Order: sequence, then C-alpha cells, then structure tokens
Amino acid sequence: MDGVRQLTQAYSQAPWRKQLQILGLFLLVVVLAALVAGIYLNVTARAATIGREILWMQSRIEDLQLENSDLETRLAMVNSAAVMEQRALAMGFQPLGRDDVTYIVVPGYVSRQQAVIAPPPKPVVVVANLPADYTESLFVWLEERALPAVQEWLEVFP
Amino acid sequence: MKGENIWRYTLLGTVISVLALFIVWQTIRIQLNPEMVDKFNAQAAAYARPAKTIYPARGMIYDRWGHLLAGNTTVYQVGIDLNRVENPHSIALTLNVVLGLDYDEVRKAASQEPSKDQVYAVVDDYVTQEKIDRLEELSREIENTYTQGRDEEPHSLEGLVFQPHLQRTYPENALASNVLGFVGRDEDGNIRGYFGVESKYSDLLAGQPQTVIMPNDPNLVEELPEIPDGASLVLTIDRDIQTAMEETVDRTLSNSGAESVTIVVVEPKTGDILAMATTPRLDLNKYWNYENIFEGSTPFNRAISQAYEPGSVYKVLTMAAGLDSKAVKPETTFVDTGVFEIGGTFIRNWNWGAWGPQDMQGCLQHSLNVCLAWIASQIGPKQFYEYMNAFGIGRPTGVEMAGEASGRLKEPGDEDWYDADLGTNSFGQGVSATPLQMAMASSAIANDGKLMAPRIVRSIISDGYQSNHDPRVVGMPISAETAHTLTEMLARSLELEASDAMVEGYRVAGKTGTAEIPTPYGYTSNATNASFVGWGPIPDPRFLVYIWLEKPTSSIWGSEVAAPVFADVVEQLVVLMNIPPDDVRNALFSQ
Repeated sequence: MDGVRQLTQAYSQAPWRKQLQILGLFLLVVVLAALVAGIYLNVTARAATIGREILWMQSRIEDLQLENSDLETRLAMVNSAAVMEQRALAMGFQPLGRDDVTYIVVPGYVSRQQAVIAPPPKPVVVVANLPADYTESLFVWLEERALPAVQEWLEVFP
Repeated sequence: MKGENIWRYTLLGTVISVLALFIVWQTIRIQLNPEMVDKFNAQAAAYARPAKTIYPARGMIYDRWGHLLAGNTTVYQVGIDLNRVENPHSIALTLNVVLGLDYDEVRKAASQEPSKDQVYAVVDDYVTQEKIDRLEELSREIENTYTQGRDEEPHSLEGLVFQPHLQRTYPENALASNVLGFVGRDEDGNIRGYFGVESKYSDLLAGQPQTVIMPNDPNLVEELPEIPDGASLVLTIDRDIQTAMEETVDRTLSNSGAESVTIVVVEPKTGDILAMATTPRLDLNKYWNYENIFEGSTPFNRAISQAYEPGSVYKVLTMAAGLDSKAVKPETTFVDTGVFEIGGTFIRNWNWGAWGPQDMQGCLQHSLNVCLAWIASQIGPKQFYEYMNAFGIGRPTGVEMAGEASGRLKEPGDEDWYDADLGTNSFGQGVSATPLQMAMASSAIANDGKLMAPRIVRSIISDGYQSNHDPRVVGMPISAETAHTLTEMLARSLELEASDAMVEGYRVAGKTGTAEIPTPYGYTSNATNASFVGWGPIPDPRFLVYIWLEKPTSSIWGSEVAAPVFADVVEQLVVLMNIPPDDVRNALFSQ
C-alpha cells in the first residue's frame, strides 16, 4: 500500500504535472473567455446588422410614403376635369345637352354613391356586466359568499 | 535585457505613464466641473441620439365623389454638403444650367470652408422630381465622361444633396380655388393654410408634428412611433358642377361686362354647397400670384366675404314674413299709387310708376317696392326683424371656410336705425348680406321652411376612420305651408312674366333683383348689382341657385342679365344631377 501511495504522491506532485494543470486551467479560462467573447461578438454583430436594417427600412417607409402621396396626386392630375374633358373631346365625345338625355327605369339601379375614403369609426363596444351569479365558480361562491354567511349565522346564534 | 536598452524602456514607460496620468487627471477634472459634465453629456447625447421632428403629410381634400382637389407631391431641397465638395465650379455651372440659379452665388456658397457653424448650405427648394432626375443624370455623365476640368480640378458634383419633402399640390389648378384656399409659409417660415377650408382646417389638415429620438447606435434603435397623417376632408362640392359653374361665371363675366360674377349652388334639403364659383380665381399651384390677382381689397371669395345690398331678391324674405305672420294673404289686394310714405321717406317703384290694385302675386311679379314696404309696415318692425334674424340675415352662416363676412342688418334700437329703414329693408336696400347668406335664407323657402346650416365639409377622415357631418337644421323661420305658398307664387310669377329664367320641361321658382349701389353720397351711382335666386324643380327642389353680377354693363337689370344665367345654370344642373324633366319624372313615379 505504501508503495502505491508513494507512487501516486510522486506522480501527482511531479513538477511537470503541476505545470500542466496550471496551463490547462489557464487555457480553459482563455477558451471560455474566447467562447463568451465570440458569442457576444456574434450577437452584437447580428443586433447591429438588424438595427441597421431597421434604420434602412424606416427610411424606406418614409420614402414610400412620399412616393405614395406623390403618385396619388399625379394620378389626380391626369384625371383632372380639364384633362379628362380634353381627352374626351379628342376622342370625339360631345358635351351632353338637356335634350340628348333619355331617362329609363332600371330596376335595382343604385345611384352614384358619395365618396367613402375610409371606414366609419368603430362603434363603441359596451361590455355588459353579467351578475356574479353567472360567472363565479362553486368554490369562489363557497369562499366569498356561503362561508361568510355561515359565520355570521354562527355569530348570531352561537 | 541588455543595458543599452534599459533607458529606452524607461523612457517609453515614462511617456506612457505620463499619458495615462494625463487622461486620469483630465477625467477627474471633467468630473469635478459640472458645467463641463453637462456640456459633454449634451454633446454625446446629440451625437448618439439626435432628435428629429417628423411632420405628418398634410391631409388630402376630396370632392363629394372622391376626386382629389388638394394633395401632396414630392419636391426637393437642394443643398451643398461643404465637407464633400470637390469642385465648386461644376456644382455652380450645373445648377445654373438646370435650375437657373445664379452661378456666382452658388459658387460662393459651394466654396465656403466648412466650419463648426456651417457644414451645409441650402441653394434651392421646391425643385421638381424631373429636375432632380436631370441633375442625377448629369452627375452620372460627369462621373463617367470627365476626368479633368478647369483649374486642373476633376469635374464633380460631389457634395450636392437632395432632400425630399412634400409640397401642397392642387391637381385641378384653379378649380374651386376660392373654396379651397392655399398653403404657404407665414412670416416665421411656418407652413399654414390661407383662406377657404385650408385656413379653417389648417391645424387639422397639418396633423401633429412629433419629435422623436433616432439613435445612431444600431443597438439602441427603437421602433418609430406611428405618426398619423393630417386629417383629410371630403367636401360637399361636386367637381363637375363646380367646373360647369366656373365656366358659366367666366362666360357671364365676358358677356355682361360685370366687375365680378358669383354663383352659389346649394342642395336645399341638406344645406350642401354643390358649387361656389366666383371671380377672380387663382391657380393654387402658383399661389404667389395672389397679390397680383387679388388687388387692393378684393376678397378671396366674394360668395362668403363680400356683403352687398341684394335688392329685390330680398323681397322673397319680406313676402315670406308677411305670409307667415298672416299680415297678408296671397289674395290680399294692395292699391299701388306709386308712392308709400314711411318714417318720413317716400318709397317708389323701380320705374316710378303706379301699378294700381295688385294682389301679392302681382307685387312679386312686378317687383313693387311700394307694395313690399307696405307689407313690412303691416308686419311691424319688431316682427319683421325677428323674421329677418330667423332667416340668418346680419350674422355669419358659420360655413366652414375662413373669412366669412356677417353683413349688416340694422334693427330698432341701433343708433343708425330709422323708421324709414323698415320700408327700404323690405326690398333689400339698407341691408347687406353675402351671396351665401341670401342663398341659405332662400333655401329655407325651398326646404319646407327649414333653414339648414351651410355644409361645405361632408366628412373628416382622421386616424383611418371617416366621420360624416350630418345635415343640421338651424331654424324654422316660416311654416311649411308658407314655404309652399310662396314657392308657388314665385313660380307663377316667372310663368306670367315669361321670364328668361324659365327652362323648358322644368318648373322653377325664382326672383330677380336689381339693386342700386350706395355711395358715400347716397344712391348716386348708375351702376347696379343684378341678382337672381331660384330653385327647382318644384315641388321637390333638388337645387337652389343664387347669382350675383356686380355692376354689369350690358344691362343694369337683373331680369335681363341674371335671369338668363339662371336658365343656363339649370340646363346644366339637370344633366349633371340626372334630373329628368317634370313630365318624365311624373310618369316614372306614377309607374
């Protein structure tokens, strides 16, 4: 037994062994630190990239809003009364006179509707408050209503 | 370590230590000085989290059918980033050729050395997309073609910056300009609306600008708050009717030699203003011409801003008061002797003639001042002015446009009211009203006695929802029975007179007016205001038309210059509003 113990002690306390342990520990710390740094760098880089993309998209949204507004107005310009009249005349149409009109009955005809640009405001939703009798559970009823009633009864008639 | 290197290492260590100590000392010095702390904090915040004010797009304005009347287009501010300028000559030359800017001024601006106070110079604004495209094309051409330029500097437009923003644009140019108004900058450089609905609803249309923080650090980027555009408006104006009325106004102005012509078309049942055409008009996309077009005290919209003595069209209101108060009945006979004395003043007819026995129909048909003054005396001043107030005379109608005038109705108790005013007021003299006031007052007669508030804004679209303004009854000055009786009398008057206002196939009611124009010395001018108010088709009117010609020269009489315009207007309206002739309508409804 002593021989084995001496051998183990000698082996475990060998200088090269101790140096190896220290070096191993140091490398472990370095590797862990590098791993954490790597993960942090990766996450940070991805966050920064996405942040940049968000900034770019916000800028793009602004550009598109400008473009939409611009296109709507330009569309209105090419459909303006004066332009449409010119185009109609160029295509051979004539202004309609009072005597040129023939009126007929069209069953189910829906006359021209006024502009609806957006939906009407949402109606105010009134949430009906149901009595607790319809919503509370049996246990809640026992705890909050039945037991206090029993306690009161016991106080009155001990 | 060799001995000769020791001093080198010592020196290097000393320098590094001194630098480190200096940094530590500077850090402590800053920390101990609150002013410097604040200053550096502010600098850091300004760089890292700059604030940006976002201006919402101005709301759109549509006509009742959804045609865009006011929108926004993208224009550009052209500036120079002084830090990036490579060749001021190229920039100045290009902007001179493409935008017509002064070469020397641009070159001077581009040649400035960037400083702490100035790194950017604005050289032009409101530049159109087409010109920006041309500039960008030139920039590419220069980059590809030229290598060396004058002074051995390479040709380059580097440093030229285009910042897009929205500009108010009116696709229909001058159409409905008097109703819309325009958008410009005030003395402080702020954008605001002028005149019309642009002014009345300026804040609502502009929306609420918000200042947001936009961090430069992408890790701190946040979602921008949703900033809604300004509210949009849907007007009651019908673009096609407005176009037709403006063409009619221009034609009438040319034919009559009048100083101005105004036409208001109203839907009596709702008070909706279908068209409001007047002169002069302004191309709203060139609003800077305003002062050249509206010289002196010329109102922007005569229909709401210029009160005038309406003359005989006012008689419909007096007769309405007389019938409703039971002071007279349609068959009441008045013997016209050609003169009526009231408050010491002698009232005479337009032709200074005596028309003998006349019933109330005849009084309207021949537009007899004497008869109407007598009716007013029968009603009595108290009740007469109560009726006029109930018709809305003497106070603004509350139409949703900026710059409405109230007109003037003198009443008993006012310092300048005399008994004679009751007589003159009865036929529209000594009282002033705007065309819109007269149109709305008359529309009560066309609408079963109910006076409606004039409505120019039908809906407001805000936060993605459209809220409609409902028609609003503001009073009932006369009974429905009186309204029907008077309408019938007026229709019959036109038929008996074979008026130029009549339109074949459509029964209409109406009244002409010819008013002398007061001067500081009395009614000494030969010029007149010619007017006509009419509605139809009766008995279920869909439109009311008010026409005013200011100082016509082809004829001074309303019956000769204003009545034919009414017929012209009605002929167009029945087509534009799909109103069949009376016989067709009756036949269709009887099926």
